[in-house]
Amino acid sequence: MKDFKIVFTGTPGAGKTTAIAALSDTPPVTTEVRNSDARLDKAHTTVGLDFGQVDIGDGQCVRLFGTPGQARFEFMWRIVATDAAGLVLLIDNSRPDPLADFAAYLDAWRDLLPNMSCVAGIGRTEGRARPTVDDHADLLASRGLVFPVVAVDVRRRDDVLMLVDMVLALAQTRA
Amino acid sequence: MPTLFAVSSADIADHALRAVQKLLVELDGAGAVVIASADGFELAHGGRATVAPARLAALVSSFAALGEVASRESGIGTPRCLVIDASDGRLVVRCMQLRGQSIVVVVLADAGMLLGRVLHVLAAAEQLMGHP
Repeated sequence: MKDFKIVFTGTPGAGKTTAIAALSDTPPVTTEVRNSDARLDKAHTTVGLDFGQVDIGDGQCVRLFGTPGQARFEFMWRIVATDAAGLVLLIDNSRPDPLADFAAYLDAWRDLLPNMSCVAGIGRTEGRARPTVDDHADLLASRGLVFPVVAVDVRRRDDVLMLVDMVLALAQTRA
Repeated sequence: MPTLFAVSSADIADHALRAVQKLLVELDGAGAVVIASADGFELAHGGRATVAPARLAALVSSFAALGEVASRESGIGTPRCLVIDASDGRLVVRCMQLRGQSIVVVVLADAGMLLGRVLHVLAAAEQLMGHP
């Protein structure tokens, strides 16, 4: 049985835990604790990792790992990313400066991106139209990077499956 | 005399600082004690060892959360302590409550310090901290 490892990372509250829970065939492993940071509008936050898995047919399984979002947990990003075939970068478009968030994550993952198949999912676009998905893609291009950038609602299983499918398709082209 | 620091201005930090001080006295020889919130913020630290307390706070909160989920998945209940037994010392991590808030306490002990003593002192500290 061949399996793939895909990592979900991105801003706090972008929906990494939700995305994995939406897609996983098994109850996800989560490491959420009560949030004490008043700057984050959420009751709980991930401090370790999330884990789930999904059977994509033909005897293939995708293992889904989520990172904590906050920069103080950056050490976990590297641990979780080890041997990953792909990366889903989730951005919460309702935060004050989503483009700055996107830039910060591109910087943090810069040395790993050349060896990973990556897709960016922009969430909560329905409540805030700008920056547009194209604005995010332009930021990517300005850094000499090219990968898909799409609007998503990570509560929807089909949207998360689309992200994973994109990563797997990109991985196939690199193989 | 070990150096002591309280990071948060909240009341909880004062209690955390006193707990750090007490632990350093009772665990004479401990290199450092750091108390973190469950979500990885440093509340207080002290000791003579050179550590990056904010970074250690984030690290041990991850360890604690992973230890809890691993214990749950394994059906062995609620973890009491996580121990990293390294070549030159140990990190002993224990989750507890401080005035109703979940915290993580980590003791940096040198290789000569008895593990049982650290575990005993941390268990006693948990009993005391659990009461207002």
